[in-house]
Amino acid sequence: MALLDEPIKGVPMAENYIDGEWVESKGEIIDVVNPVTYETIGRVGISTKEEIDSAVKAADDAFDDWRRTPVVTRCRYLFRFRELLEENFEELSRVQTQEHGKCIDESRGETRRGIENVEVACGMPTLMMGDSLEDIASGIDEYLIRQPLGPFGVIGPFNFPFMIPLWSAPYAVATGNTVIVKPSSEVPFSQTKITELVEEAGFPPGVWNMVHGGRTVVGGMLEHPDIQGITFVGSTPVMRDVIYPGCGNTGKRCIAQGGAANILVIMPDCNVNATIPGLMTSFFGNAGQRCLAGQTLVIVGDDNNFYNEFMEKVTETTRNIRVGYGLDESVQMGPVRDVKKKESILNKIEVGLKDGATLRLDGRKPPEIIGGHPDTCFLGPTIMENVSREMSIVREEIFGPTMGVIRVKTLEDAIEICNESPYHNGHAIFTSSGKAARQFQYDVISGNVGINIGIVAPMAFFPFSGMAGSFMGVLHTQGKEAVRFFTESKVCIHRWL
Amino acid sequence: MDLRTASETLSFLRELEEKAAKFYEELAEKFPGNKDDFLLCAKENRKYNKQVQMAYQSVISDAIEGGYAFSLEPDDYFFETDLPEGATLKEAAQKALAVEEKIMNCYSDGADQSDSLLADVPRNFRMILKKRKKRLEKLETLG
Repeated sequence: MALLDEPIKGVPMAENYIDGEWVESKGEIIDVVNPVTYETIGRVGISTKEEIDSAVKAADDAFDDWRRTPVVTRCRYLFRFRELLEENFEELSRVQTQEHGKCIDESRGETRRGIENVEVACGMPTLMMGDSLEDIASGIDEYLIRQPLGPFGVIGPFNFPFMIPLWSAPYAVATGNTVIVKPSSEVPFSQTKITELVEEAGFPPGVWNMVHGGRTVVGGMLEHPDIQGITFVGSTPVMRDVIYPGCGNTGKRCIAQGGAANILVIMPDCNVNATIPGLMTSFFGNAGQRCLAGQTLVIVGDDNNFYNEFMEKVTETTRNIRVGYGLDESVQMGPVRDVKKKESILNKIEVGLKDGATLRLDGRKPPEIIGGHPDTCFLGPTIMENVSREMSIVREEIFGPTMGVIRVKTLEDAIEICNESPYHNGHAIFTSSGKAARQFQYDVISGNVGINIGIVAPMAFFPFSGMAGSFMGVLHTQGKEAVRFFTESKVCIHRWL
Repeated sequence: MDLRTASETLSFLRELEEKAAKFYEELAEKFPGNKDDFLLCAKENRKYNKQVQMAYQSVISDAIEGGYAFSLEPDDYFFETDLPEGATLKEAAQKALAVEEKIMNCYSDGADQSDSLLADVPRNFRMILKKRKKRLEKLETLG
């Protein structure tokens, strides 16, 4: 099948956007590589401390005027921005596929989810309304208003280069704050494209800034006294050891979302034919590089016939997954983002095998890659059986296209495995029993719970929850919780004599 | 090679609808007495394309990625639109019914296959099927 057009042409430089101006970083310049072809498709600067300081200053300078801009007017900028995102929907999606490697269906889903957050933020005049009550005592009235705080830092990951900064930034600016977005330097072009549309929408200079880079930029944000808060999505070690303590040290608000090792529970009464496609997209969608991806499949019951027939279907479907470049519409799974990530996944599989797991399907060497691309970043889907709950392939995040299978006798055993996981992001159950579903929902420790849903991704008007090793903070991104995160509650009590 | 992803399936359906739309436009030229009926069919086909595209791009289920939503064999839905020289209206209507049957089969099979993953896409497929059944009744009366 013919490839859809690649939108990134030549080898462009991803520049910073500070105070309404596009500026090339003075820091080290690195290549941005398409993980499918392993060709350089662009370049990006690793910004310096001075550059992040300059972005914070621009955001801080812009804040006072922006917060005084009526919320209705602020939202009009967002409405225009939303229209531009819609007009550029297909190009935005293809940029993600070209720089990240995910399939075009996956990219379009990501684009849609990002736009939905802008749409929700457009409702800010209603969302940020306060509360009031007259006569809390005779002749005394009390009310609460929500006010913005200042510049916020938004730190995005590599796996959803378009969508994840939009879990925060639209809410931040709609509530009257200013933002500095730092995309992953592995995939800088999705946010660059978004920022071009921010500029086209006409946001005043300094309201929405973007600085590319790595640790220096993150450190600069964490240390800067004028940054009021950070939203972060990335790995658990960085969340736990860098972001959360860094925010604590300087008194910043913090939403920190980390990794996961999600468990999908299969009850023998599940609708098998409806369940299997859900498993495919959960375990192998986005090549497993997703904090809501399934990692361990727990099959309940001691019916060997059910187990064998179910696993035969799962294996057969998995074996036939088409691997290749996501701009080919027939491709179902793309590569992982880079060689290091591929090696990390391979190492984790090796550890699992040493621990006693056995390969039912070996994806360490990729199958035929449609289009004949180099296998540099490609893996095939892997299924491992004879897995037990204490193994690292269950307890540690793999972030790749792997499925470990555990058999247990009862639903209670399955829930216990979920609850002893160090991560609690998106566990799910597949069953046709309302009783089992309710028990699972009630007892499982998980910020997002799926009932016959493989990827438990909350819509924009719900918070992206997460617990324990998958999250640090109090409020979450998206929806009403984001509104509370980006505003201070001011309570006023009035008595007029 | 079977169609599995939402993207390629919807591209395929777009092709079918467009091919059928062009067929109806040709019929409109050949049979001026039924021009409006045939042009309406062509217009509706293109409207269905937009409807499905909107459902695909606008509604999120657990698997908007849609990479595993279908398993359709394109050959099963292939149709010819050539009419013999001097074909009567009745023959044209018979051909149109055959075209409709293939397209409807594609929507029907696609709806059944994607029910568990794509939520709103199969619902829209079924809405189109319902409307098309009325078209069949109309086509059957021609000639």
